[in-house]
Amino acid sequence: MAVTKIVEVPISAEVPIGPQHPALHEPLLLRVYADGEEVVRVEINTGYNHRGIEKLCEKNTFYKDIFIVGRVCGICNAVHANCYVRAVEQILGIEPNNRAKYLRVLSMELERIHSHMLINAVMAENIGFENLFMQIMLDREMVMKAKEILTGSRVMADFMMVGGVRRDIDDVKRARLKDILLKLRPKVEYYKKVFEEDETIFKRLAGVGVVKRRDALAHGLLGPVARASGIRIDSRASDKYDAYGDIPFKVITRDEGDTWARMMVRWDETLESIEMSIYILDKLPSDGNPVPDERKLPRRFPPGEAFTRVEAPRGELTYYVMSDGKSLNPYRVKIRTPSFNNIINSTFMYLKHTIADVPVILTSLDPCISCMERATVIDLEKGVKYTVPFKVLAGGKP
Amino acid sequence: MALSSFLNLLRRVRLVESVNDVIKIVERYAVEKGSIKPDRMLFVVKPESVRKLFEELVDKVGYERFYLSTVVGSDMKEENRFRLDYYVVILPEERTIVIRTYIPRDQPVIDSIVDVVPAALSAENETYDLLGIVFKGNPALRRGFFVSSDVVDKGVYPLRKDAAGV
Amino acid sequence: MRRPRLLELTLKNLFRKPATIEYPRKKTPVESDYRGLQYADLTKCTGCSICALECPANAIAMTPIPQGYEAPKTNPRRLYPLINYGKCVFCYRCVTVCPFNAYITTPKYDLANAEKTINSSPLSLSTLRKG
Repeated sequence: MAVTKIVEVPISAEVPIGPQHPALHEPLLLRVYADGEEVVRVEINTGYNHRGIEKLCEKNTFYKDIFIVGRVCGICNAVHANCYVRAVEQILGIEPNNRAKYLRVLSMELERIHSHMLINAVMAENIGFENLFMQIMLDREMVMKAKEILTGSRVMADFMMVGGVRRDIDDVKRARLKDILLKLRPKVEYYKKVFEEDETIFKRLAGVGVVKRRDALAHGLLGPVARASGIRIDSRASDKYDAYGDIPFKVITRDEGDTWARMMVRWDETLESIEMSIYILDKLPSDGNPVPDERKLPRRFPPGEAFTRVEAPRGELTYYVMSDGKSLNPYRVKIRTPSFNNIINSTFMYLKHTIADVPVILTSLDPCISCMERATVIDLEKGVKYTVPFKVLAGGKP
Repeated sequence: MALSSFLNLLRRVRLVESVNDVIKIVERYAVEKGSIKPDRMLFVVKPESVRKLFEELVDKVGYERFYLSTVVGSDMKEENRFRLDYYVVILPEERTIVIRTYIPRDQPVIDSIVDVVPAALSAENETYDLLGIVFKGNPALRRGFFVSSDVVDKGVYPLRKDAAGV
Repeated sequence: MRRPRLLELTLKNLFRKPATIEYPRKKTPVESDYRGLQYADLTKCTGCSICALECPANAIAMTPIPQGYEAPKTNPRRLYPLINYGKCVFCYRCVTVCPFNAYITTPKYDLANAEKTINSSPLSLSTLRKG
């Protein structure tokens, strides 16, 4: 029998990473196309957990939305609420007093500390360093306690309110918070040193997932990812919202642009946040009561629109709030979270690396799936005959 | 001391120039100007010139001096049109400006800018799935990555004001 | 490159007592002003239902006070807010919007119990005299 057909065996395979636990314990599917070990194309598939927060905000009142947007993301709930509340304050023309502003910054910086510690711990776990993971998580508990003292809950702060914050701190609490932060500082310094000096970690992370400055900007990457590529963006420094204009801090940047640099930026920012928090506790102004009477806040909203930015632990978070002046509900609330840009636009980062590097790179982006739950990229090319090497088909160079 | 303050001044002058570069380009396309609180300059442009505007921005100032933060689509049902706001952050001092355009509600089509500014990918995909604005030339548009499949089957765009059952 | 002494830390941990808290045998220590279960003091509540309107989680339902309880005269409609703790997000919006400061807050956080429904009715009704 003569040969009439040649069946070519594709030399590459599709490797699904996720949707359960690709990096953090959250649903996200990375469709990785590999040629041997080398990654030639990555598609991101989400949509496992859509909650329709923006529509929900349109259907609830301005005040209820403060608590709804706080639940977009558990890790960065205070920054979400702060960004929304400031947008509403812009529409209303209300400004909180200085003590309230300082307390807001304190809650957001505590959040940054525990968020950065969490992702560094997860990174340690993902590269097989479970001991370090446990240690960092144990010390992170101290920050959670500090947040509990400040806001009344370990995770869900519900701390922001139009015109101020929702609870004040007295001198006893202030001393306790400072005590916790002073105890935490040497521990974070130690972990930073571990990441800096431990050979295993350095070899695993250095040179993996390098992002050039230009690529990061063109793809709109934000936060520590951009700052590790030498881009000095930080909305705390540029917008100077709340009390960030008064509190001294450095914007951390690094030039390496690799996974290791991103983790180091996070450790340096953690230390910077601890310094800022101590500064706030020392210099807390006392110009009146920071807690507004929620029964006397305005019910009617004038027409207007506001676009606020906030530096969440993962990067620039923006809220657009529009009031049409006719109803008690906002006309439009648009949330753009940093992970939304960082995860969906970053598929180019995985190329040319091995499959084993994919979870490491994904973790270094600090993915917050509940934050970004909106997107996917590129449908599969259906009905194409696999007669060319898969690498070419997938868009890689032959 | 005097030298450093002089250098500082020089730096500031250069920064102002960088903002002005971008604003000058955007201004040429603008048909209307305004502002969004707090202090974001707003330029209303024609929908067909959005792509040209971004092409010129990339061409003249380059990727290193701005990034596209987000695209906000809103349904202005009473005016029978959709509103698209492109939020652009100008570096290095991070000034946010807004490029706004309106497209008719019965024919929601606009040119995609994803090949010019790759950062638009996530925002365009989202706006398509939630509002049904078609970005012509974006190969990645797909229903159902954001909303659940039963909403997709009904053909409903959830963020439209007349969307039923969501 | 000096290596941090991670091994030392590991060995030390072998002899430390575990950081894990054996809940429910041992209670997790919380602050006295932790946002725990809250309920309405029915001697102060007037049944105005502002908390039910303002609740972001829709967890509060205005419910008639059962027969056999003496409702105060300020509560002519004999309604009280029944909080469904399963729905409640413990944001304390109800506490802060109440015009009569009728809410009592506790740092209690353990919701699991043997009863089928977890709501505020036993706590709230215990503030009223039976009559």
